[in-house]
Amino acid sequence: MPEDQTITTDEVLRLRHGSAADRSRLAALAVGDARLAAEMEEWDRQDAALRALYAPVAEEPLPDRLTRAVRDARTAPVRRAVPAWGRIAAAVGLIGLGVLIGLGTARLLPTDVPPTLARAAMASYATYAVEVRHPVEVAASDEAHLVQWLSKRLGAPIRVPDLGGEGFTLIGGRLLPGETTPAALLMYEDGVGRRLALYITRSEGAGQDLAFADAKGSQAFWWIEDGLGCAVAGDLPRETLRKLAVAAYHGLTET
Amino acid sequence: MPFLDEIEAAIPGLRAFARALARDREAADDLVQDTLEAAIARQGQWRGEGALRGWLCRILLNRFRDGLRRRRPVTLALVPDVVDAASGRRAEGRLALAEVHAAMGQLPEDQRAALLLVALEGMSFAEAARALGCAEGTLASRLGRARATLRQMTGREDWTQRPGKAGE
Repeated sequence: MPEDQTITTDEVLRLRHGSAADRSRLAALAVGDARLAAEMEEWDRQDAALRALYAPVAEEPLPDRLTRAVRDARTAPVRRAVPAWGRIAAAVGLIGLGVLIGLGTARLLPTDVPPTLARAAMASYATYAVEVRHPVEVAASDEAHLVQWLSKRLGAPIRVPDLGGEGFTLIGGRLLPGETTPAALLMYEDGVGRRLALYITRSEGAGQDLAFADAKGSQAFWWIEDGLGCAVAGDLPRETLRKLAVAAYHGLTET
Repeated sequence: MPFLDEIEAAIPGLRAFARALARDREAADDLVQDTLEAAIARQGQWRGEGALRGWLCRILLNRFRDGLRRRRPVTLALVPDVVDAASGRRAEGRLALAEVHAAMGQLPEDQRAALLLVALEGMSFAEAARALGCAEGTLASRLGRARATLRQMTGREDWTQRPGKAGE
């Protein structure tokens, strides 16, 4: 860059909040540039004012409710995978689903250790559902391309289930690394911004009826059929999630 | 450091960030409490990438945005307690601080958050962009606008931003 070329505000910001070397470079640039030097002084004043205003808050005694949040976690007993009422609700729901979709006997109790598939789905949910701007790689507006792309990479044709009946619409999807083959993630959102992840991967293992898995902060219903392992994961009431799983199952398998 | 110890150590800093962001003591501590509970519940999802502080700020920002979607903005107190908290200052200094606090309140939330992450939390560009869940270019433009607005609102327009023109 020629010496006399004016540095943009963008570049100045990157240098100022960059590495130590970046900051030295900025300081050196400011020596020969009065306008830049004045701007840096102004930013110093701004930053000093912000620290003077808000940093003292960190010195205030902590209210009990905040220390309690951590204290309770230290003393909390190891959390059971699912509370008793949850087991009952899940069991009732699973029996209904088993009859409905003819997959045979539903599991009466959820597994205690979430299997790989459910864990992967919950991890994907945790990673991408919090993304405000980049929850997906390909947006729902490009659904035809999304389906084609994900089907090709998975090596199995997939469909995008319509979960509109449960109030969730597709926002898009992305490709993820899987155990043996890539996995597909479809992300849905409802009217209040709650998100749902539908995780699909090839699974050579034995079929698996709808099962429930629970981790801290998210839950999943998962199943394996016809070489596809699927899971819906979200931080939603279990019954809502179960309905979504049933809808997703139908959407994925029925023509 | 064990996860819970690290969380505990982060509480004071989170409170300062939340107070500056939400501009109301109770609302800010509500945000912090929600964030701590969410982080502890999602402990298993913390993979130790980057600083835990960034992850906590990100959760807090998401809660804050969720809150903005649900509620109308809180009416701001005329005499902010943060200005009183910065005690022992000359009246003139307090006035300048009150001015900056008022100006911060006028900034759109995403600009305010961006500026606080780098100026108060001392985050790097990359860390702040990650916490905000936005691209670095977006962060740059938010910061640029935040700083320009702040300068105008605190009455410091004694030099021009036009390239090639020397100030003072």
